[in-house]
Amino acid sequence: MSKELEHDFVTQLEHNQNVVHKVCTLYTNDRDAHNDLFQEITIQLWKAYPKFRGEAKFSTWMYRVALNTAITLYRKSKRSVKTLNDETIFFKIKADEYDPTEEQQLSLMYKAIKQLNDIDKALVFLFLEDKNYNEISETLGISEVNARVKMNRIKSKLKTILNP
Amino acid sequence: MMDDLELLKKDWQKKEMNHPKLSYNDIHGMLWKKSSSIVKWIFIISIIEILLPQVVYLFPSFWSNDGMLFYSNLGLTNPLLILSIIYYGVVLYFILQFYKRYKEISVLDDAKNLMGKIIKTRKTVKNYVFFSLSMILVFFMTVVFYIYINDDFIKTMELSGKDVSEISKEKLENIKLLSMVIFTAVGILFTLLVGFIYFLLYGLLLKKLNRNYQELKRLEV
Repeated sequence: MSKELEHDFVTQLEHNQNVVHKVCTLYTNDRDAHNDLFQEITIQLWKAYPKFRGEAKFSTWMYRVALNTAITLYRKSKRSVKTLNDETIFFKIKADEYDPTEEQQLSLMYKAIKQLNDIDKALVFLFLEDKNYNEISETLGISEVNARVKMNRIKSKLKTILNP
Repeated sequence: MMDDLELLKKDWQKKEMNHPKLSYNDIHGMLWKKSSSIVKWIFIISIIEILLPQVVYLFPSFWSNDGMLFYSNLGLTNPLLILSIIYYGVVLYFILQFYKRYKEISVLDDAKNLMGKIIKTRKTVKNYVFFSLSMILVFFMTVVFYIYINDDFIKTMELSGKDVSEISKEKLENIKLLSMVIFTAVGILFTLLVGFIYFLLYGLLLKKLNRNYQELKRLEV
């Protein structure tokens, strides 16, 4: 593979790395596992890159590879669901937008999402990335109707986790 | 709840992940790292599985000239040759099949299809292992069978340099019987051992994959 291709790929991934980080954060519980999964996704993206000819947006193309790696190819699954500590709280809190109740509510929801199974997480991830049901169904290989049904079930699951 | 999720969606898209941004060089360094994906492991294990029985199957060569003579005295040369030809023909078929399956696997497939293909690949490997384990058994059983039908088993014993004329006929019958039992036991034990290792390996490797595949399949019902 040529140097040019390599340069293009790394530059694009550097710009879009946030998507991969989001997937890693959803699917792993500590920093080591996060980095490990990030690396595996990078390798898989790089291997598939020659087939990427710009028909889709780079970031869109990444969803599929990243999720496939996380739920299908990635070998190590987390050993136990650790209690999440402050370090794993997802986002940096911007001081000017800080709203304690809202922030707390969001943090609880993120914790609830982390308790879902691999497939449910994938659906929630795509939902949060504002993908429509057509895209969700294509990425996971289920019908659009089933994607909707599944998403509704996940919503009630999350409700149960949040209000036991 | 709906509002909560919408709120979450806004938050999710607005904010950067709480993770140090990787530099160009960080990412560049990852390109040539070794992949640890399930597919790669299935591939490695398959190669080991294809190589491992070769070692066992070529048993006669382990036994040097004495061993070859032992087999030819038993009249086993031709049956072993036929077994070998069948065996290597089928192995070749499996290698081609396996390569085909491996090529089919693409990360760009949808998740369910991809899982399905990996499981299909595993099935090919599984069939191969089943076949090679059977061949090991067939090999041992053939030897046992030839010992059984061979009246001149005593002659083959002389090859190991022992003088058999002093041993009573009854004792020789016992030796023959014992040889058969040992060959059978070793054959069965070995087959079970390899089979056990295999199932352990795949069970662990594909546990997560199977779970996720079942989850997606359940949705179709």
